[in-house]
Amino acid sequence: IGKKVQAIYLWWHKPVINKELLQSLPNLKVIANSGVGMDHLDLKLVASFGVKMANAPRAVSSTTADTGMALLLASARRLVEVHNISISPSMEYCEADILGVKVAGATLGIIGMGSIGYKIALRAKAFEMNILYHNRTRREVQEEQAVGATYCKKIDNLLQQADFVMLTVNLTPQTHKLIGKRELELMKPTATLINISRGAVVDQEALAAALQAGVIRAAALDVTSPEPLPRDHPLLKLKNVIITPHLGIKTDKATYMITEEAVENILAALSGLPLPSEVLPS
Amino acid sequence: MWYHKPAINEELLQSLPNLKVVASSGVGIDHLDLKLLSSYGVKVSNTPFIVSTDTADMGMALLLASSRRLVEGHEMAVSPDTEYFPADWLGVEVSGATLGIVGMGTIGYKVAERAKAFEMKIFYHNRNQRKKEEESAVGAVYCKKIDDLLQQSDFVLLAVNLTPQTHKLIGKRELELMKPTATLINISRGLIVDQDALVEALQNKVIKAAALDVTYPEPLPRDHPLLKMKNVIITPHIGSATKKTRWVMMEEMAESIQAGLAGLPVPREVL
Repeated sequence: IGKKVQAIYLWWHKPVINKELLQSLPNLKVIANSGVGMDHLDLKLVASFGVKMANAPRAVSSTTADTGMALLLASARRLVEVHNISISPSMEYCEADILGVKVAGATLGIIGMGSIGYKIALRAKAFEMNILYHNRTRREVQEEQAVGATYCKKIDNLLQQADFVMLTVNLTPQTHKLIGKRELELMKPTATLINISRGAVVDQEALAAALQAGVIRAAALDVTSPEPLPRDHPLLKLKNVIITPHLGIKTDKATYMITEEAVENILAALSGLPLPSEVLPS
Repeated sequence: MWYHKPAINEELLQSLPNLKVVASSGVGIDHLDLKLLSSYGVKVSNTPFIVSTDTADMGMALLLASSRRLVEGHEMAVSPDTEYFPADWLGVEVSGATLGIVGMGTIGYKVAERAKAFEMKIFYHNRNQRKKEEESAVGAVYCKKIDDLLQQSDFVLLAVNLTPQTHKLIGKRELELMKPTATLINISRGLIVDQDALVEALQNKVIKAAALDVTYPEPLPRDHPLLKMKNVIITPHIGSATKKTRWVMMEEMAESIQAGLAGLPVPREVL
């Protein structure tokens, strides 16, 4: 059966693409990924077998930006905590337990201003937030003005001023543990960290310690390392942490769209045509 | 007056002959008998505009949390029994979906401003149509008949005040007009919705989900069916519950009280 396989549609990182699998599929021409992140693939290895790779960049940005905003709002207004209070048998609480943070007029710091980061900025602007961003390269002036975003060449400046820090970088050797003890200590004690990129962008042990010690106010994580976390992980027990199971693009519409993109890429590869969203090893 | 306490009735007013002003927190005044208070010469004030932004934010927070199954997802992520995240676990798309806003006052309009940034199509129903410029600014289309809004919306958000006309505005008939894939979000008052009809509609999958910052009563009895449904998010009337806004509300109420006691015009007086 291995000889018949010409294309693989990778669904949530499965199957695992390693040397053994590639050797067992001599006629494999293309691997299409369900999503935009490619950090789980050894791009050089796959390319060395003459197999093309594609991701699904168009479909993901709005849906992932929505996830980021959902987490920002849920954390600011303590949604999970107060829902649990509302349905609890005793429903005893004091006012301090339910007071949240005002979003309008607060400062959002976006780390990683690609398509997803930019769509977050568009949404945050409508919530009357001040927007700072940090990126490898600065965006065009018109793009900055459209969302009222101010560039921070140094990440430290962003961390010191932001009430909400949103991570929307892709995972590379440079962004691995980008947010560690030092960065968390630069943040305000009233600040919230939101991660919709990859778990490994954050030093998780440092984050757990910072949350326990009140170095930052709260965290909302759509991604962790690994997924799911081991059941005894300290992050699972903290009241001021919301963890979601990599919601990212998990909607009916988005999964349909990324599948369409994947099929387009697969058909192109099998016909020997250029792929709409080919990913090359850098 | 905080969270509708103390209850203002004839007995209380008779026992407080020197009462000059009642400063109520928040914008809603449905819990106050304005004619009765007026007959005792007592002035009434509220805190109408300061609550609008946080309440609109709450509406969007509930819309996003419900659509993406945030509370359910968190429970799965932290549950001792979870071994892996299922591949077919999906929510509903917000970007590009249709939002129907029932009640386009200050709060409803702020919701529209926010929803526009999510590329949502916006319908609204209101006693009066808004000005063309206001409609264009948020891309909102007026529905003179609430039925038209209900039939087309993926999300129905209630932002009306409670009056005899809006009492049980959303009942069995209205829920059946909604799409079976639709979500009801209520940030106005519990009594706007026929709660028993809502329970039945959710149980029979007449609509998909509900997210309620307000119920009747508040809180619900602990054995109420709404508390047990996986597709229902309930929050304890926290529309305006942020530190900053509560601070300003307190300042505004104190200001109104001081003016009332000094015999000066009362800021934010409700007539």
